Amino acid sequence: MKIAVMQFPGTNCEFETLVSVKEVGMEGEIFRWNRPEGEMSGFDGFIIPGGFSYQDRVRAGAVASKEPVLKALKEEAALGKPILGICNGFQILVEAGLLPGLVPGKGKVQMALAQNVMVSKGEIVRRGYYCDWVYLRHDASSRRCSGSYQIEMGALLKIPIAHGEGNLVTASPGLIKKLNDQEQVVFRYCDRNGRVIDEFPVNVNGSTESIAAICNPEGNILGMMPHPERAFFAWQLPSFDPRKHRPNEPGPGRRIFESMKRYIEVESC
Amino acid sequence: MLINLRVWLKIPDAEAATVKNTLVRRLSYGKVLEDVKKERLISIQVDSGDPEELARAFARELVNENKESHKVLIDRLEFEEGYVPVKVALHIEDGEAIAIRDRLRKRLGYQNVVDVKKATVWKLYFRLLRPEAEITAREIAEKLLINPHKDSYEIMM
Repeated sequence: MKIAVMQFPGTNCEFETLVSVKEVGMEGEIFRWNRPEGEMSGFDGFIIPGGFSYQDRVRAGAVASKEPVLKALKEEAALGKPILGICNGFQILVEAGLLPGLVPGKGKVQMALAQNVMVSKGEIVRRGYYCDWVYLRHDASSRRCSGSYQIEMGALLKIPIAHGEGNLVTASPGLIKKLNDQEQVVFRYCDRNGRVIDEFPVNVNGSTESIAAICNPEGNILGMMPHPERAFFAWQLPSFDPRKHRPNEPGPGRRIFESMKRYIEVESC
Repeated sequence: MLINLRVWLKIPDAEAATVKNTLVRRLSYGKVLEDVKKERLISIQVDSGDPEELARAFARELVNENKESHKVLIDRLEFEEGYVPVKVALHIEDGEAIAIRDRLRKRLGYQNVVDVKKATVWKLYFRLLRPEAEITAREIAEKLLINPHKDSYEIMM
């Protein structure tokens, strides 16, 4: 079971993502964007990690989405292989038209991850880059999506975010309803009790309906703004979290990578 | 009155170079596209005052003369011949434009500032004549320069 961790110029989370892949028992390697795209067929799954591909020039993910490896990634996705896009990886998948993927094969861009706008009590209180620990509520059934395959509906995960453009917006009428109806909304930002409150600081970036992660209709592609690789080990948790000091305890982000592994084990049989 | 500040880098513009590279190497525009340049466009609406004097003051605040050049246009916006200007702006709320407006009004005391709008103008130099150049510019805007869910564009010819 071999995972390609994609690296574009400006990617900066590839090494910790690779550690997470290996820790759950998968093989993996860094796959540079300029390698022959034909080599991608030798992998069972793909992760596009976070960072600032091409320095976010034009807009986040726009330039990377035009690389030949993305064309090859679309072909691999059509075979049902799992793809996980984290933060900038999510932005690239959106710009490439792989997410939400409601117009298959066309590469049509159906939404945007726009600049963060934090709203509280009807007023804009902050804009732009923000990093913090957030709670995520799993809003899909287990087995619905490759990256949350082993996570039960309603489960809460505490995972950090760090981005300036994670505000999901769309001009397509009915798109959000369709995502909800088809259970493509995988995670939402919530408070520690699992309540979705569409205001800062619970909704950290102004995202429509507090959406933090979505999958494609087939469920093999997951894009999420939070960084599970930064919460893979309990020691990565913030100092006020008691789990930080429990040796050998897994961090909440580990479940994403374990899910991907389980998805490959089950779905490739 | 509308004070338009056209601002561009005097040093090489890496973002424009990346756009050119992507259009030539990834999107097959090598035969028709000669060059890409970029400008910031800041449009400041004021309700009183001497526009020339205000334009000089705004430029002092918003343009870094060490690396940028600028041109002021009052109540008009025009571009030179030789390229197709594609103006790209957010159609959702533009936080940066609001921040500039608030800075001019609240921090710097320009109470006559009514509104600020901000855009990027991509200057596409083609080896094509006008009707084809405009059609290709639209195609490029829709393929790379905008995400229609947050941006809109206008060909400024």
